[in-house]
Amino acid sequence: MAEFSLYATPALGGYSTTHDGIALEELDGLGLISIATPLDSDAALAAALKKGFGAEIPAVGKVASSSDSKIRFLGMAPGQLFAAFEHDGPNAEGAIADKLAGAGYTTDQSDVWVGLRIAGPEVRTVLERICPLDLAPNAFAQDKVARTAMEHMAAIVFREGEDGFVLLTARSSAKSFLHALEVSIANAL
Amino acid sequence: MIINHPLLGPRDSAEFTYLGDASLIERPDWQAEDAADQFHDYLYLRDNPAGEHRELWFHEQGDRSWLVVTRNTLTHEITKVELARDVARSLGRSR
Repeated sequence: MAEFSLYATPALGGYSTTHDGIALEELDGLGLISIATPLDSDAALAAALKKGFGAEIPAVGKVASSSDSKIRFLGMAPGQLFAAFEHDGPNAEGAIADKLAGAGYTTDQSDVWVGLRIAGPEVRTVLERICPLDLAPNAFAQDKVARTAMEHMAAIVFREGEDGFVLLTARSSAKSFLHALEVSIANAL
Repeated sequence: MIINHPLLGPRDSAEFTYLGDASLIERPDWQAEDAADQFHDYLYLRDNPAGEHRELWFHEQGDRSWLVVTRNTLTHEITKVELARDVARSLGRSR
């Protein structure tokens, strides 16, 4: 009988390039867990987040970090957080769910999203062509996160460093999304 | 057109989808004596004002909240934006 070995492949094959001073790379090993607040249990979830991760519950549109800065908690909507962190292999959910001990409803979303990091001095010039949000530093502060659509594809946007952004989008349309970014870089620069 | 979301700040209207008159929040009691008449009015009778209009918008490409937007249909000026949840609760609903 033939022997098979299975291994995970990143959605964009570990894409990483620099065009015109803009570094664009796929985030490999991204764990993404949604956390929903049980009805009227905001205080219990806040306590569990504080105890387990040393983090406050972020307001909608804000990012909070764990005390070791390894996990970002994204405030997506009333009663909904996303936890984003580096994680190799399956079962990213355990890293969050074990410490919440039932105070939040967790769902592993890692395998349906793809993350891209885009950075460079002209990054806002590139993104303003396709992103309807105002990403200027005074309008989109370091601790902001937003959900929007670029070229009709849904995306979550948050900042990494002064001139860097992380974009999360659906894995199923990841290649189209990457193409939209490549075209925008070529058009803008 | 820009909708000033109460939680998220100003957002392009392209992120939203439109449903219709905000009176859709006030769904009649299906057990009332005259439920059929009430549902007829609820479904089919709408004011069609040339001017200020309260309407439901869904932030589909955003935080997926429902909003009640007060918009002038002649000028597109938006004078008020509320979370539909808050409007429903102010009418005595539990959620």
